[in-house]
Amino acid sequence: MKSIKTLGLVTAALFSSSLLTAQDAVVLYSDRVVEIEQTLADASDLWVKPEDLTRINDFVLKPEGACLDDLCVPVLQDRDSDMFVRRGGQAWFNVTELADKLQQAHVTDYDDSIYSFGAMPIERRSFLRGGEAPDFSLPDRDGKLVSLSDFRGKKVLLLTWASW
Amino acid sequence: MPVWQSIFEELKDNNFHIISVAQDTGGEAAAGAIFDAANVTYTAIIDVNHHISALYNLVNVPSGVWIDEQGNIARINEGTYAQRHGSFGTDEYAPIVRDWAIKGADSEYVWDLDKVRENIIQRTPEAEQAQPAFRIGTYYFTRDNDAKAEQYWTLAQQLDPTSWNYLRQDLQYEEGGSAGPQWRERRVEMEAAGGSYYAPLDIEASSDSDQ
Repeated sequence: MKSIKTLGLVTAALFSSSLLTAQDAVVLYSDRVVEIEQTLADASDLWVKPEDLTRINDFVLKPEGACLDDLCVPVLQDRDSDMFVRRGGQAWFNVTELADKLQQAHVTDYDDSIYSFGAMPIERRSFLRGGEAPDFSLPDRDGKLVSLSDFRGKKVLLLTWASW
Repeated sequence: MPVWQSIFEELKDNNFHIISVAQDTGGEAAAGAIFDAANVTYTAIIDVNHHISALYNLVNVPSGVWIDEQGNIARINEGTYAQRHGSFGTDEYAPIVRDWAIKGADSEYVWDLDKVRENIIQRTPEAEQAQPAFRIGTYYFTRDNDAKAEQYWTLAQQLDPTSWNYLRQDLQYEEGGSAGPQWRERRVEMEAAGGSYYAPLDIEASSDSDQ
């Protein structure tokens, strides 16, 4: 009797959401460092809550799919798929699968759950084909965010250098 | 850098600006004093993740990009010392910057779109992974985990062996330094194979500028 009770507790624990969610993760993308408190346990992919998807890369999960501006990647949400699952009422979105669909480079340190994403090819076309200067926002030495677009209307000489 | 400051002072009233971005994982401690010594009044950024090089497909420093009033690139990927600098650089670059700052789109040194596209470095899918790998390395570096930093900085070099920045930034923390024997060896190797350490500067006036 006692052993059955123990087994029951273990089973209950397995189905509780606490065991299905993994440790926190850190996501590096563009100029962002996004700390994610809860992810869905997975050996290789990064599953996050829809609100965290938006914190990572501005994509918003809508009925028609994962959308950024005019672009929407279709995502079925009435059943589980490689991009979307529901566990205990909580929706989870697969960020690394979206990156693969968008051919976005990414590198992961699995020991510490650090997921680092490169630029999205869709955002690179205007540069590579159209010769448009990619915009950026980086802090200057006073900590003030500077964007290239702040200087629209001026000629800008962008110089890189290094102390080394 | 003091030379760029004097060029900026001279040209800033022509709707001209300079954004100078240090590619330095060491941050303010590494690059700050150099900006200070030049008393720069243009925009100064210290970019620990080498984000700008990743964004503009640049592999070496110094590199320059001209961006026009509409946000379009007018020249890209040039080894832009403000003046002759040892065996590198030339005194002929600053004058074409001056020409452009004053004449804008009418400058004969502005490239057309085809030429801009030709001069953007193309990356393999592996090389596209180098930046996210380097970024993890810098994340660890800033948290004092040097072993992990080294692991990912090395990975970045393997993924994009064309990047001098990833190589030399890493060498800075090793015996021999960023301009030591390992760097010289790689440069000699590249030049012996017919390559050019910096993309060759093309300061000929473009032939179709008066179309």
